Amino acid sequence: MSLDNLLKKASVRSPWLFRINAGSCNGCDVELATTALIPRYDVERLGCHYTGSPRQADIVLVTGPVTVQMRDYVVRVWNEIPEPKVTVAVGICPISGGVFRDSYSIAGPLSKLVPVDVNVPGCPPRPQAIMEAVVLARSIWMKKLGLEEK
Amino acid sequence: MSDVLWALFHVCIFPGGLFALAFALYLKGLDRILVARMQRRVGPPVIQPLLDIAKLLTKETLIPKTACKSVFLYAPVIGMTGMAACAAFMPIPGVFDGMYNMGDLLVLFYLLPIPALAMMLGGSSSSSPFGAIGFSREMLIMLSYEVPLLMILLTVAMITGKATGLGTADFSLLNIVQYQLNHGQFGLNPIMIPAFVAYLMFLPGTIGVPPFDVAEAETEILEGPLLEYGGPLLALFQIGSALKTFVVLSLGVVLFFPGTICDIWIFNLVWFMVKVLIFMFIAISLLRSATGRFRIDQAMVFYFKIPAVLALISLVLVMVV
Repeated sequence: MSLDNLLKKASVRSPWLFRINAGSCNGCDVELATTALIPRYDVERLGCHYTGSPRQADIVLVTGPVTVQMRDYVVRVWNEIPEPKVTVAVGICPISGGVFRDSYSIAGPLSKLVPVDVNVPGCPPRPQAIMEAVVLARSIWMKKLGLEEK
Repeated sequence: MSDVLWALFHVCIFPGGLFALAFALYLKGLDRILVARMQRRVGPPVIQPLLDIAKLLTKETLIPKTACKSVFLYAPVIGMTGMAACAAFMPIPGVFDGMYNMGDLLVLFYLLPIPALAMMLGGSSSSSPFGAIGFSREMLIMLSYEVPLLMILLTVAMITGKATGLGTADFSLLNIVQYQLNHGQFGLNPIMIPAFVAYLMFLPGTIGVPPFDVAEAETEILEGPLLEYGGPLLALFQIGSALKTFVVLSLGVVLFFPGTICDIWIFNLVWFMVKVLIFMFIAISLLRSATGRFRIDQAMVFYFKIPAVLALISLVLVMVV
């Protein structure tokens, strides 16, 4: 096995998460923080680590129905994340707009602005669902690196 | 010629470079597991810091358009090489005597702030406002922990110098270790205990773990100086910080508990590593898992009020007794 392949294989075991709040009601954000912080659903065992900087992110978790005010900022921050990256839409709002659908102040759904890889429906989604999304995002990341899943 | 080769060997392989890096990454991984277990979590695998570095090497390097490019690129390299050189000065009792034996404690004192300086350079050259805030915070926390550190080093040098009949301070790490091996360790000496406690308090500040991680506070100023760094450059910063952890923890062991268990070098090496682990558990993992973060003014006042005064008490006692 070449060194490059070895590095790639190791890299998917260290996904760093970055959160973008695109006008969320904070329900999903609380769920995300809970998933990471409380002992029961420890995402650190997957090697995850919440980072404050988009430059260090691998998996980006977007919450909220992308309001008109937030649209440009979401796209700008998303563009600052280095490749390869995986986008996860957390909650029903970034997927379809949820209860805010067809509102005058909504620029979403998220898939209109950036390519979304994983959808996690729910209002808010259960912590287990978010964990599953992170694991799924990891396998998508592997495919983007050109590795076969075990 | 062979002197140069030996110096290179000490900087690149043992005890600096490869050995220090492998051991430091193991320390970091173990620290994460210990904290997770104390919070009743499972925690990451012990090789997680290595995986993080491997991941960062595969990512692309982004340089901000407005950044000062050369300083931005060289700052992490300066931080890492400074610490690799530092590790070569570290004597390991019963195994290795340290690279140079004249006044190496003073050289160490000047080399230790290099990673913090590199971080300040990187933060200020990145042209990010968070980098500028991180720069000022890093400088303040550095100013506060350098004062007790200087007094602790002076205390240890004075007691050795007085006891060996030199009269003034003896800044040779080898002499400090030799004196303790013959006359008992400073960590067990009543007049040195305040200095030892002050050193334990200095450790979390210099490594930048809670409650003293004011410069890289990721929830307030988004990692501060490291905000614009990603990919291989961040990996260099992580290697530098891991090496720094190894250097300051081993300096604590060398200054206060350098005892050996027998004449066989491999057992002494293992014993030394066990002591470093115990230091890390007390000064980093235990504290990190139980505390939040100080405000910058609280951290500064803490360093000037408690460790500085404790170190001063030891210094005065050493001068008087």
